[in-house]
Amino acid sequence: MVRELATAGFKVVALEQGPFLHEGDFRHDELAVSQLAALTNDFTRSPNTYRKTDQEQARPRNMVAYGRAVGGGTIHYTGNLWRFHEIDFIERSRRGPLAGSAMADWPITYADLEPYYTRVEWEIGVSGQAGASPFDPPRSKPYPLPPIPIKSTGVLLERGAKQLGWTAFPAPMGILSKPYRGRGACVSCGFCETFGCEVQAKSSTLVSMIPDAIATGRCEIRPLSYVRKIETDAGGRVTGVKYFDSANREIFQRAKAVVVCANGAETPRLLLMSASKQFPNGLANSSGMVGRHLMFNGGGVAVGLFDHEVNGYKGAVVSRVVHDLYELDPKLGLYGGGGFDFRWDLNPIGFALGGLPPEAPNWGPEYKQMLRDYFNRTVLSFAHTTSLPVETNTITLDPTLKDSWGLPAIRVTHREHPSDMNLYRYFMDRADDLLTAAGATRRWAFPFSDVPPTQNPHLLGTCRMGSDPRRSVVNRFHRAHDVPNLFVVDGSSFVTSGRGQPTMTIMALAFRAGAAIAAMAKRGEI
Amino acid sequence: MNDPRSRRGFLGAVGGAAAIWLAAPWPELLAAGAPPPAGQPPRFQTLTPSEATDLEAMAAQIIPTDDAPGAREARVVHFFDRALGTFAKAQRPLFAEGLAQLKLEVARRRAGVTSFAALAGSEQIELLKALEAAKSPFFEAVRVGTITGLLANPAYGGNFGKAGWKLIGFEDRFTWQAPFGYYDRT
Repeated sequence: MVRELATAGFKVVALEQGPFLHEGDFRHDELAVSQLAALTNDFTRSPNTYRKTDQEQARPRNMVAYGRAVGGGTIHYTGNLWRFHEIDFIERSRRGPLAGSAMADWPITYADLEPYYTRVEWEIGVSGQAGASPFDPPRSKPYPLPPIPIKSTGVLLERGAKQLGWTAFPAPMGILSKPYRGRGACVSCGFCETFGCEVQAKSSTLVSMIPDAIATGRCEIRPLSYVRKIETDAGGRVTGVKYFDSANREIFQRAKAVVVCANGAETPRLLLMSASKQFPNGLANSSGMVGRHLMFNGGGVAVGLFDHEVNGYKGAVVSRVVHDLYELDPKLGLYGGGGFDFRWDLNPIGFALGGLPPEAPNWGPEYKQMLRDYFNRTVLSFAHTTSLPVETNTITLDPTLKDSWGLPAIRVTHREHPSDMNLYRYFMDRADDLLTAAGATRRWAFPFSDVPPTQNPHLLGTCRMGSDPRRSVVNRFHRAHDVPNLFVVDGSSFVTSGRGQPTMTIMALAFRAGAAIAAMAKRGEI
Repeated sequence: MNDPRSRRGFLGAVGGAAAIWLAAPWPELLAAGAPPPAGQPPRFQTLTPSEATDLEAMAAQIIPTDDAPGAREARVVHFFDRALGTFAKAQRPLFAEGLAQLKLEVARRRAGVTSFAALAGSEQIELLKALEAAKSPFFEAVRVGTITGLLANPAYGGNFGKAGWKLIGFEDRFTWQAPFGYYDRT
């Protein structure tokens, strides 16, 4: 966003609550980075609460995970850059309504977004193989880079998929298979997920977009700046934002327009914290939709042990993907769909604390022997699915708990839709089928419930896009229905969740919104 | 128990390590990661000698020594010593009290014996099983800390000589080329 606006000739100030890190700051340090979440939000300073329904008292629980640094979630993401398919934008009209869900069509279609998916791939560098998936939507250009090398997890997924009559195709990854635009190719260190890339091979906005923005001379990045309120004037227009700087001084930054890209949890929180006389229910919230329809993406993980070394810890996390169940046979009675990959993204500590079968001992000689036997031979069969928009699944302000700045903590109210529970179970079983078909010698799974997991990194739907100002927060160009010079561009804009990999669509929306905002501003319409 | 459905939760054993080592601002953690000592283990900075002896004996039951090094050889107790003095300072009271209680429990079970480390191996295991069955937060902290110290970067004081990584077959080369494993070799 800042790159698009700055290159279009506008002066931009980017306020980021986290630090401005560079590849030299990133380390292969599992304890600091994965276990203690060095690159994501800090629960000791920004706590969350959770309750299943609004009848309950919310209790502290670490619910949301987002990148807390310049570059956001793209610093620590795994790099799975699936495009949405046509169905993701029109599932409501294709499948009809579902009780208890606010399913709706998007106000834009796949065709509207396709040019921007292509821009993402070519601007940031995405490795993949056009035409390899029989389910891929139309594309105007091939990938700029060939697929990353296949690893044993990918070969096993191919084997399992073939047995089931499915197709495993090269994963579209935001990881450079060859040098691209001044950045080096991936060295297959294997420390992608939760880590920052030490060689600029992961296609984060930090290395692909931010340098361009700064080079214009019109973009100032202000890290360690914690925005607490968007200010408005008597005419109902945004005038700027108030934030705390790194020394906790409160500063007002004036602006002709404000674009909120704070993720699907912090964006609604900021709008709700920006309530004023003109906007008593929160900024841009005349619809009451700010914070509603929170979606995390669902899925399931089945785990399998193989005879020989898989060494999943070497190389980028995912090399093959299956999309045969992207759309399901309506006879199944399920709503939505998903995809699969095989991976082993458990680093040593994560594996030892959570990677063994639930019935395994967790200390002593037998446990030690299992650590030795399992680490290099285990594969996760990971299903990634839709989750339904439900109006009562929300981000709101906790009425009592505060963060370290004295601001209301994020309160999550969330209960999985019963149809989603059936969907997740179905996908969990198919993930297990893939392991069986691939020849796993021992398989296990983990129980799940209608209480969502902790630390959800996919934060979607909470300021949904739509044409009806009574039912949505922003219009098809991400402009707030209620406030002409306020825009919201991140996962909160999603109307539906997609099949478990939202980052590609968030980035495509950002390119599209950036172009639209720049054009409107040049026409004097902001 | 960690939360297997969460991408991060599955990875991070969030209910385990993060809950135990929660109060850990990143800069302090990095400060704790000084270069590993060569040769003799360093002197204890945080634990008393008797605490260190008992904690090491507990760790040595959690990851015992057999034909391969265990927690003892991996110097996990030095990971505890450093962690409890720096990024996991907030856990210090839990350990101090837990180790003191442990001594009392040992004396109650075996008159005249005042240290967990002085119990026979089978008695140590029996006691640890009792703590585990009672869902003792102290036992869980020692268990998670032992495993973390075994497998964290050696710079944190444990995983001496990369003993933990060697045990599970993790190589810290951080640069690889295909083939990565058996199945992509052919």
